Amino acid sequence: MDFTFTPDQELLRETARAMFAKECPTTLLREHMTDRSAIVPLRKHVREFAGLGTGAASDLCVFLEEMGYVAAPGPFFASAVLAGPLLEAIRHPQLEPVISGEAVATVAIAGNSGEWIPNAETVKYFVLDADLADWIVILESGPSVRVVPRDRVDPVPIRTVDSTRPVFRIDVGDVESESFELSADAWEAWRDRAHTVIAAEMVGTARRLFDMALEYAKERKQFDVPIGSFQAIQHKLADLALALERATAAVQYASMTVDAADADRTRAAHVAKAAAGDAARRCSKDGIQIHGGIGYTWEHDLHLFIRRATASEYLLGPTSWHHDRLADLLFS
Amino acid sequence: MQLAWSAQDEAFRAELATFLDTEAPPEAHGYDFGESRPDEASIIPDWLRAWQAKLFDNGWMIPAYPPELGGRNSTPIQTLIYLEELSKRRIPRATHFPGYAIVAPSLLEFGNDEQKKLVPAAIRGDTIWCIGMSEPNAGSDLAGLQTRAQLFDDHFVVNGQKVWTSYAMIASKCFCYVRTDPSAPKHRGISLLIIDMDTPGIDVRPLRHINGKADFAEVFFTDVEVPRENLVGELNGGWMITQGSLAHERAGLWVDSVSRLEQTVFALVDLAKRTGHDLDPVARRRIAEKYELAASLRALGYKGFASFAQGSSAPEHSYMKMATSEAGKAVFELGMELCGPFAAVTDPELGDENGRWVNMFFMSFANTIAGGSSEIQRNIIAQRILGLPRK
Repeated sequence: MDFTFTPDQELLRETARAMFAKECPTTLLREHMTDRSAIVPLRKHVREFAGLGTGAASDLCVFLEEMGYVAAPGPFFASAVLAGPLLEAIRHPQLEPVISGEAVATVAIAGNSGEWIPNAETVKYFVLDADLADWIVILESGPSVRVVPRDRVDPVPIRTVDSTRPVFRIDVGDVESESFELSADAWEAWRDRAHTVIAAEMVGTARRLFDMALEYAKERKQFDVPIGSFQAIQHKLADLALALERATAAVQYASMTVDAADADRTRAAHVAKAAAGDAARRCSKDGIQIHGGIGYTWEHDLHLFIRRATASEYLLGPTSWHHDRLADLLFS
Repeated sequence: MQLAWSAQDEAFRAELATFLDTEAPPEAHGYDFGESRPDEASIIPDWLRAWQAKLFDNGWMIPAYPPELGGRNSTPIQTLIYLEELSKRRIPRATHFPGYAIVAPSLLEFGNDEQKKLVPAAIRGDTIWCIGMSEPNAGSDLAGLQTRAQLFDDHFVVNGQKVWTSYAMIASKCFCYVRTDPSAPKHRGISLLIIDMDTPGIDVRPLRHINGKADFAEVFFTDVEVPRENLVGELNGGWMITQGSLAHERAGLWVDSVSRLEQTVFALVDLAKRTGHDLDPVARRRIAEKYELAASLRALGYKGFASFAQGSSAPEHSYMKMATSEAGKAVFELGMELCGPFAAVTDPELGDENGRWVNMFFMSFANTIAGGSSEIQRNIIAQRILGLPRK
C-alpha cells in the first residue's frame, strides 16, 4: 500500500502542469466558445500524451487531474481515455493510430436514458467531441463493440452548459460494420477505469475552483480585513478542503485498485466518481458564494470551471446514480 | 503508487489474524467499543484486563514498541494493519486508553529513569491512569488552565479543579497539568505532575452524561501535596509534552476510527435488511452515501499514513478527526431513522435494536467536542494548512 507518487509520476505532473499553464489559459477557453479551431496548438501538445490512455490508471489520473485543472478542451478524454482501452480490448487495428495520437476516436454508448451501459438502442447520446473524431467506437448490448468511420454517421450537436467539451447525438442504426464481442470482465474493467479517470479530471476542476476561492479570500478585503480572516469563511473553506482531500484520496485509491484488478475495484470507482461529484458541486456553489457578486458574472473566469464541473458531474452517471450502484453492491 | 502490501506485511497480518481468532476471549469479538468504558458502579471486566495483559505478553499491545513494552518493533505500516484487523473484528485492545496511549509515550520521551519504570504497567493495563487536562474554563483554550501548583522545597501544593476527567473514579494515578508560574505567558507557565489519586485532599465526583452513564468526573484538589520528584520533564515545560509523541500511533488511530465507521455502515446494511428497508430506494441511497463517506475517508487515512510512514508530514491527519467524528454522528443518526418510530425507545422488551442506535448516537456527541471540537479543527485547517489569516 503506497499512496506516494513515483518520481516518474512527479515528473509527469510537473510537465503536464507547466504545459497546460502555458498552453491552456482561460483566454483560450473563451476563444474556443466561438472558434473550435482555437485548440489546434493545444492539441499538438496533448497528443504526445495519448499513450497514457491505455497505460496505468494511476499515471493517467495524474495527467487528467492537470487537464481538469485548466478545463482543457479537445478530444484526449474521448479518444485516448475512453476509446483507447475499448480498441485495445478487441485488438482493433485502429488502436495503434489512436494511442499514438495520429487518429482520433470517440465512444457511443448511452441511449435515451442517458445511462452509460451497453444497450440495443440505435440513437446514441453524449458522444464526446464527435466532430473531431475519425472513428466512432459503438458499445452495444451483448456487450459488443463496433468501430465505424465518423463520416458514416452524422453527429448532431447537443447544446450543453460546457462549451469546452461538445457532445453529440448520432444514429448508428443504418451503419453496417463488423461486430466484436467484448467479455463481461472487459466491459466492467473499462467501466471502472472510465469512472475513476473522469473522477480524477473532476478533482482537478474542483481544485481549480477551490484555489480560486482560497486566493480570493486572502486578498479581498471588507471592513478593512481580508474576508479569509472571518471564521464563517474559514470554516467554509475548511469543509471544501476536506471534500476535496477525500475525493483526491478516493480517486488515488480507485486508480490503484484498477491497476491491480483488485476485488474492491468497482466499489472504489463508484466511490471516486461520487466523491468527486460532491467535491465539484460544493466547490462550485461555495466558490461563487465566497467570491460574492463578481463570481456570478460572465467576465469572471469562475463560470468556465463551474460549467465543466457541472457537465462532468452528469457524464458517465450522475452522483446519485453512482450511489445507487454502490447500494446494489452493498445489498447484494 | 501501488495497492499491494509487502510479503512481510502480509505475514504480519496473517500471524496477527491467527492470534486474534484463536486467543481472543469470546466476549471480545464484536464487543462494542462504546461500551468498553466503565460506568460509575462497575469495575473493568476481568476478561478485558486479562486480554490486555495477554496482548502485552505476546507483543501485540503496541506492536511498534520493543517486547519489554508489549510490542515487537514493527513498522508504522504494520501498526496500521494491526489497528485495522482489531477494528474489523470489533475487538477491544485496552481497559482504558490514557495509560498506553498518552502516559506511556509521554513518560518514555520526557520522564526520568524512575518515572520510566511506570511505563510497562501503564501499557499492560495494570495501573489505571486518568489525564488531568480540561478545566471548567479551559476546554478549547487548553493553555488557559488555572489549577495551581506552588513549589515548596521538596513538594508541590496543588489547588484547583479538573473536569471531564475520564476514568478518574477508578484511576490510581493522574497525569495532571498544573500552572506553576502564573506570571508567565499562559503556554509557558504549565508543568506536568504525576499525582497519586489516594493523596489526601482529592475529591472525585462522577459526572453523569447524556447517556445516563458516568465514566468521567470532576476532580477537586485542595492543598494536595505532591513530591517534587513527581514532576515530569522541566518545571514550566509542560506544554511541550501536551504536543505529544508517538505520532504514528495517533495517526493510526484515525485509520482505526474510520475502519470502525465503515463497519458501522455495514451494520446499517444489516439493519436495513432486518427492518425491511432493503428495497427502499431512499434508504438504500442514503446508506450508499454514508459508505462513500467512510470509504473515501479510509483512503484519506491510508494516504496520510503512507506519507507519514515514509517520513513526510501528513496534512491529511488534520482532516481525519473532524471528518470521522462528524461522519460517525451522521451514520448513527441514519441508524435511528431506520429503526423507525421505536428508535428512541430503550425498553429491551420492545426490541433491543432500538436502544442500541440511540445509545451510539448519544455517545457520538462527545466525539465532535472532546479532544478539540470540530470548530477548533476547522480553525486549524483554515489557518495552519490553508494559510488563511488569523483575526
